[in-house]
Amino acid sequence: MWEYEKRLQYPVKIKRPDAKAAKIIISQYGGPDGELGASLRYLSQRFAMPDDRVAGLLTDIGTEVLFCAL
Amino acid sequence: MTGKEGLMRSITEVSFTLDELRLFLDTHPDCEEMLSVFQAKKEERAELVGKYTEKYGDVEGYYPETKNGWSWNTAPMPWKKEADI
Repeated sequence: MWEYEKRLQYPVKIKRPDAKAAKIIISQYGGPDGELGASLRYLSQRFAMPDDRVAGLLTDIGTEVLFCAL
Repeated sequence: MTGKEGLMRSITEVSFTLDELRLFLDTHPDCEEMLSVFQAKKEERAELVGKYTEKYGDVEGYYPETKNGWSWNTAPMPWKKEADI
């Protein structure tokens, strides 16, 4: 379960909109090797992790990587 | 740093510290030193977020300011120019 906050993990201020750069950046977030896919892999693998402490760690890592996709 | 931008910057910094400390403590749960840093940063963050919410706008969905009505879903997202952070 997640909740979101009205803030960014790192401040973003777009001074000059650049569609070409935006296309590259968004594929790093949502593309085939992006943050979103990575976070969902951590979060589904946590269910197969036999060690409870590491399962908890995977939940936290998957959550942190999800921050980077949003 | 002061003002809206400065306060949000402080929240960003303390939150990042807590994000990383959380992962560190997951693998080093017996580290007394970092446990006490976590506790201190946790309190610092609560104070900063409380101050920001009161003065400039909502940050956390469980604790939106409701004295002047509901603006959680209408206030601009932080990456929008209108948010003016």
